[in-house]
Amino acid sequence: MKFTIDWLNEYVDTDGISSAELAEHLTMLGLEVDAVTELFQELEPLKTAQVLSVDRHPDADNLSLCQVAVGPETLQIVCGAPNVRPGLVTAIALPGTTLPGGIKIKKSKVRGIESFGMLCSERELGLGTGHSGIMELPEGTLHGQSFMQTLGLNETMVEVDLTPNRPDCASVIGIAREVAGVLRRPLTLPVDKAEIEFARTPFSVDIESSELCPRYGARLITGVTIAPSPWWLRKRLLSIGLRPINNVVDITNLVMMEYGQPLHAFDFEKLADRKIVVRHPHMDELDFTTLDGTIRRLDPEMLMICDGVQPVAVAGIMGGMNSEVGDSTTAILLESACFNPVSIRKTARKLKLSSEASYRFERGVDPGGCLLAMERAVRLLCEVAGGVPGPGGVDKYGGQRPLKTLVLRISRTSELLGIALNYEKIADVLLSIGFRCKEKDADTLWVGVPSFRVDIEREVDLVEEVARLVGYSAIPTTLPTVHLSYPEQDESRMIRTKIGDLLTGIGYFEAINYSFTTEKHLQWLGLPESDPRCRLVRLLNPLSDEQSVMRSMLLPGLLENVQRNVNFQKNAIKLFEIGKVFTPKGENEQPMEKNRLAGVLSGNRFGNASTFHFKQKDVDFLDAKGAVEYILQGIRLWGVGETSPLSFYQPEQSCIDPYCDALQSLAIHAGDQEVGCVARILPEVLRKFGIKQDVFFFDFDLDALCKLKRVAKIFNQLPIFPAVGRDIAMLVPENVEAGALVEAVLAANEPLIEQCEVFDVYQGDTLQSGMKSVALSVIYRSSQKTLTEKNVEKVHMKIVNMLSSKFEGTLREG
Amino acid sequence: MEQKLNSLLDQARGQLDRITKGGAPGEVQKQLEDFRIRYLGRKGEFSTIMQQLGTIPVEERPRVGQLANTVKAEIEKCFEDQKKALVGTAGVNGAGFVDLSLPGRVQECGRLHPVTQIMTEVCGIFEALGFSVAEGPDVEHDYYNFEALNIPAHHPARDMHDTFYVSESILLRTHTSPMQARIMEDQQPPLRVIAPGKVYRCDSDITHTPMFHQVEGFLVDTKVSFADLKGILTVFTQKMFDTNLALRFRPSFFPFTEPSAEVDIACVICGGSGCRVCKQTGWLEILGAGMIDPEVFKMVGYDPERYSGFAFGLGIERIAMLKYGINDIRLYYENDLRFLSQF
Repeated sequence: MKFTIDWLNEYVDTDGISSAELAEHLTMLGLEVDAVTELFQELEPLKTAQVLSVDRHPDADNLSLCQVAVGPETLQIVCGAPNVRPGLVTAIALPGTTLPGGIKIKKSKVRGIESFGMLCSERELGLGTGHSGIMELPEGTLHGQSFMQTLGLNETMVEVDLTPNRPDCASVIGIAREVAGVLRRPLTLPVDKAEIEFARTPFSVDIESSELCPRYGARLITGVTIAPSPWWLRKRLLSIGLRPINNVVDITNLVMMEYGQPLHAFDFEKLADRKIVVRHPHMDELDFTTLDGTIRRLDPEMLMICDGVQPVAVAGIMGGMNSEVGDSTTAILLESACFNPVSIRKTARKLKLSSEASYRFERGVDPGGCLLAMERAVRLLCEVAGGVPGPGGVDKYGGQRPLKTLVLRISRTSELLGIALNYEKIADVLLSIGFRCKEKDADTLWVGVPSFRVDIEREVDLVEEVARLVGYSAIPTTLPTVHLSYPEQDESRMIRTKIGDLLTGIGYFEAINYSFTTEKHLQWLGLPESDPRCRLVRLLNPLSDEQSVMRSMLLPGLLENVQRNVNFQKNAIKLFEIGKVFTPKGENEQPMEKNRLAGVLSGNRFGNASTFHFKQKDVDFLDAKGAVEYILQGIRLWGVGETSPLSFYQPEQSCIDPYCDALQSLAIHAGDQEVGCVARILPEVLRKFGIKQDVFFFDFDLDALCKLKRVAKIFNQLPIFPAVGRDIAMLVPENVEAGALVEAVLAANEPLIEQCEVFDVYQGDTLQSGMKSVALSVIYRSSQKTLTEKNVEKVHMKIVNMLSSKFEGTLREG
Repeated sequence: MEQKLNSLLDQARGQLDRITKGGAPGEVQKQLEDFRIRYLGRKGEFSTIMQQLGTIPVEERPRVGQLANTVKAEIEKCFEDQKKALVGTAGVNGAGFVDLSLPGRVQECGRLHPVTQIMTEVCGIFEALGFSVAEGPDVEHDYYNFEALNIPAHHPARDMHDTFYVSESILLRTHTSPMQARIMEDQQPPLRVIAPGKVYRCDSDITHTPMFHQVEGFLVDTKVSFADLKGILTVFTQKMFDTNLALRFRPSFFPFTEPSAEVDIACVICGGSGCRVCKQTGWLEILGAGMIDPEVFKMVGYDPERYSGFAFGLGIERIAMLKYGINDIRLYYENDLRFLSQF
């Protein structure tokens, strides 16, 4: 809602209150001021000028050579306007001025003749559409004056961001009422009483449903002359960004902004049968051309204003071309009505057409105010457009309801707000903005709600009014007294936090990607259509194809992040994301939402760590696997204690996702359920994401992980006797996995073996081809005694022999 | 020869053990260097033994050769271990001169996303005040997102929410407020709950992303007042920003609270004197709040005469922007490491 302070002053005197103070008052009343703007600043350098003489330009028939007086100076100006004539006072832009449209005025030569400025049209000044000639200022206007001051353009515009519950403030008077209340100054209305005289009218009004149209007022005004509005009226509209059209339309717009009551003027001669019928359209009337020249497809639910034959306006939204007021109009039928908010909103939505009128009707227009606004418009039409009001008028008020009276409890108000109030205080603030109050008993008062406050329906609405008017800052600040209780912890959320902390500890950065994505990604990954992740939750109204489906995996988003970071020359990328993926269930059913964890790593292993200590080396599969082991260890699901609910598997070829390198893929299982995987991504898949370097990833069903029982913390006695370490270096065929050797050692069930680890795997020129050396370190310990070389040797030899025979290996070390 | 190799190993081990710390500066280095030359040098003892390899029978050579390699490797290893223990590696000395200007030896640390960091901080403040944390679905029923919050179909307040729809009655939640209705349907007062999560609006420009994060909070009990709301949010704001930060509550409108308020803090950029960020007002809006509307209570079966409560909601991205001075909201979801590594 926009208004100027000058306009506001017509209804309430704000003398002595600065625009900043006014804005502060409004904001603290819940009418948040978005902007306070000094208007027409760009017209500041313009001056008034009087044309002294007009001669033909020697070289151009349609140009005039003028001598123009601007104060003491006389300037030579070349002008192309047909209406330039001696004696005319107009606006001049002198060299150096930039006009609102961006035109820069310079001293120039026009067809060989020098011109020292430009005489301006209204359009060039951003003041209207008149472009048939230069602006004509009233006779007697002095030349050489500031153009702004001459026209009273020094205005301050205030823009209020209205909340949907305050349609009453979608009017300058509504704002003025609030201001008058807070400043305790009187509110003056141009028309504060209106009645319709009983008389025979030369037209009739029929309303099909008073539910949809609670009130319809109409009056006939004849003898109207359509013309541009006088300057004061145009200025009002221009100052709030509305385009002046002609006197009749401008008056309806002005009164709408003033009273908040949308008005419509029909050309009375164009109304068939001199009749208004408010009804739904018939099936053969569904194409309708609105004032803006667009053909609209109606539906039978919409409410239309019709004449005796056909629709002439979409009720409460926009008039029709067929009844438009034009230059030849002499009689108008003025409508001031009230429509059902939901009906207007549905229609405006369906037609994708909203207007200043529909904005107000959707939120609720005061049915009690129809006649006031109409009376104000009629007076202006007579004054400005030479109209004569017809006898009487129509006021169909089928939807009239008694004024609301609510009960307000003083104790309840005080309790809810936490401030002690009494009857005097409450009544005082409510009265200041038009409520009526009467004491009912010691704790309650009757409050009469004015008709324009369509938002006030319950006691609590009044409590809010009281709070707002008393001022939120007057309410004390206390802490609630509550019963102590233990806030339940969400286990899954705690594990997510833990994982985030673990991963950042080893150099991973957390990413957050949009939950919506593009289907294309799944094709890039090579997922077959039968894959459950290709069943997607689709948005009906996505912003773009790129964000049209809810994601079913985290990986694609992370791959996009890798690509972006590579492009920005980041060569060490470790990212993870914890977030939801979505799988559809039934139509009109909420989809399944599952939390997942995924990470990607690519490029340099050590990131931004000092290259002085850490050699630049690219990550490989084992870095990804290490991260996985580390997380699982951190959340006590693997690698701690005696047992683990998880195990790593090399999946069957058929179970490997099509985007994974089959040779570098591991699945993590909990029993027979796969809960995660770690793999290298195939280069051809990466290329589709625009990535040319290796990327490894891990991916977990986080909900499944959270459900697993974590390994309990149980203390084991510390060993009393020392351990003996022995190393074994075996030469084995290269396809033997080091892990298999370790497992074989541990599975040998030798009580003295405490631990076995791989400490080196070597393959090279010095070895027979097709063979590799695997070095294991075995720790022996007894809980009974200190082991001797002999004790160990016996077991150790057994192990060595077992390994040699089992893996077709030979020992490398004696 | 095998015997010689084995005894060389023992001898070398023994000598290495005798090299110990203490003594004149540089003494350890000198002894280590002497050891290296004596055993591992080109004319050292190992080389001398190896020259005899040619004299033993051909069939024994591979076995002896292998042993020789093992012995050499072992001596080298023992030497490096001892050197490391006594001296340290490249340019850093265990004793004496250390080049302190060299970088410390540690791997890079990652970071949580700034949104997560702020979210954790916000939740932490309320958890310390005794609120529990609850999470709900991102894809929500129209009922919980709107109807249960007193926003019926065709209410103009729906204009405040540009909604993504999945079907006629299923949508992406436009705020975390549905959790109010979900929790209250499920539990009885007293309640103190916060609900963090992702929310969605179909709106995208320099100040809006179609997905962002909110934290909803509410407290329901008997005799909860607007003054209590002011108290809790004052505690929160001052913990989040600055103890001396000025804040103000001003009237606003949300269909599910009455009275409703917006909470502004004194502009953290200009300190309240007016700047571009606060649009010259000196204030920044950070929270929406209010007393829970009786209609909302009625819909979940609470008696509004018996219970009262307040609710509030705040945008995480906005708070991160204010706290960290981030000026473009789109940066949050590009996951550019140059951005992520700053927090």
